[in-house]
Amino acid sequence: MRALILGVLLAGLLSWLPAAAHAEPINVEVVADPPVVSTVLGDHFEITSEVKNTGSAPTGEILAHLNVASIEGSVYVDPEDWSPNRSQQLSLQPGESRELTWEIQAVNSGHFAAYVVVVPFGSSVAGNEDLKVSQLVNVDVAQRTTLTAGGALPVVVAVPLLVGLAAGAAFFRVRRRRATGT
Amino acid sequence: MTLRVAPREVGTPPDSRATAERQSGWLVVAEQETRDLWTSGRGLILLFLFSILLSVVTYLTSTNQALNFLEQRESVNLVLQLAVAVGVLVTLVVSADGISGERERGTLESLLITPVSRRSIIAGKLIAALTMWFATFLITVPYVWVLARGVGILGQALALGFCVGTLVAVGLGCIGLLISGFSSSNKTSIAASLFLLLILFAPTQLPSGLPQGWFFEVLLRANPVASALAYISSMLVEGHSWTQDLSYLITPLLTAIIAGGALVLLGPRLVRLTPGVHAG
Repeated sequence: MRALILGVLLAGLLSWLPAAAHAEPINVEVVADPPVVSTVLGDHFEITSEVKNTGSAPTGEILAHLNVASIEGSVYVDPEDWSPNRSQQLSLQPGESRELTWEIQAVNSGHFAAYVVVVPFGSSVAGNEDLKVSQLVNVDVAQRTTLTAGGALPVVVAVPLLVGLAAGAAFFRVRRRRATGT
Repeated sequence: MTLRVAPREVGTPPDSRATAERQSGWLVVAEQETRDLWTSGRGLILLFLFSILLSVVTYLTSTNQALNFLEQRESVNLVLQLAVAVGVLVTLVVSADGISGERERGTLESLLITPVSRRSIIAGKLIAALTMWFATFLITVPYVWVLARGVGILGQALALGFCVGTLVAVGLGCIGLLISGFSSSNKTSIAASLFLLLILFAPTQLPSGLPQGWFFEVLLRANPVASALAYISSMLVEGHSWTQDLSYLITPLLTAIIAGGALVLLGPRLVRLTPGVHAG
């Protein structure tokens, strides 16, 4: 009997607590293109992503965000270096789609994956919404040697040498002129 | 400086002679001052030390295997900033010696009795001091070529460094001559100029990660050196267009205009003998 009373009280108490906010799922589909990019260190390239509202209600404000990750080795990736503008805000009506373009510069060599993730945006975000992610775009960046110690050596040695010789010549000419009194 | 002026042509009307002397006087002074600066070896020794500094920086950069593409742009920025800093420093030192140095060496008197106007003397001295900046920039070109050719910003970096550096060098060269004209001794003039440069460069050495409020921004924009260097960084490192941060160049431009205008106005009063100052 006591257990029953406790159970009823507990049920009553729980009914007074606010229910956890139930977030509306983001009904969008994200497709990134092209699936593979092969480029050379330092080159610029573009990927596009099509975001489509597959639901029956407007999406509200959503944010498409580009990310880049290294998928081989231990290359440190700072996505900010790859693309300074990595977020685009949009809202879609049912059935509407939008093509987003992302300008990227390959700043490291190696194998990378770029992907676009769509997240809800604004103050109404509960925090437990599902994310929608595009498939990976494989980015292969070939190494290009732009700077080597051997390449820099001629300039590094020759310039001070030439200027030093000129300074030395001027110095001795002045000394000789002073010595001869001319 | 011992100024040699070409003998007057016989038969030329006095008025046209005077006009020609006024027009070409600055050129004669500039030529003579420049020759003195470079044939004495003073300028070349400073350039030699500067080339060693750039060689060390460039070699250390090129041996760094972990350098990524953007960090290489930053190293181009570093070399250009060094060029502007050192170029402006030597220009300021040479111009700070311009008038007070002549007074102390006892050569100002002979300069004043030549048929060259005092404004022409100042203009000639400013041009000679600016040759230090142009030479510094010329030395920087091969280093920028080594660092920037791989990242495709060679032309941009050289054009940017030349334009911005020249603007700052003209402004500070004028300030150096003003200080030199007003200083009672050459030591005072050079010390005051170096102290001014130190004040102007100090903000550029603050860590970039520090929180920077509106007061910092005001200080940065009011400082001709710091704002000029910020403009170079914004274009080379952040990839901004040349018009995007053009407001950074307002202070260097105003400095050049105000200091240059002050030199033109005060020129005749600056180039004068001071009682008690003589060759030591």
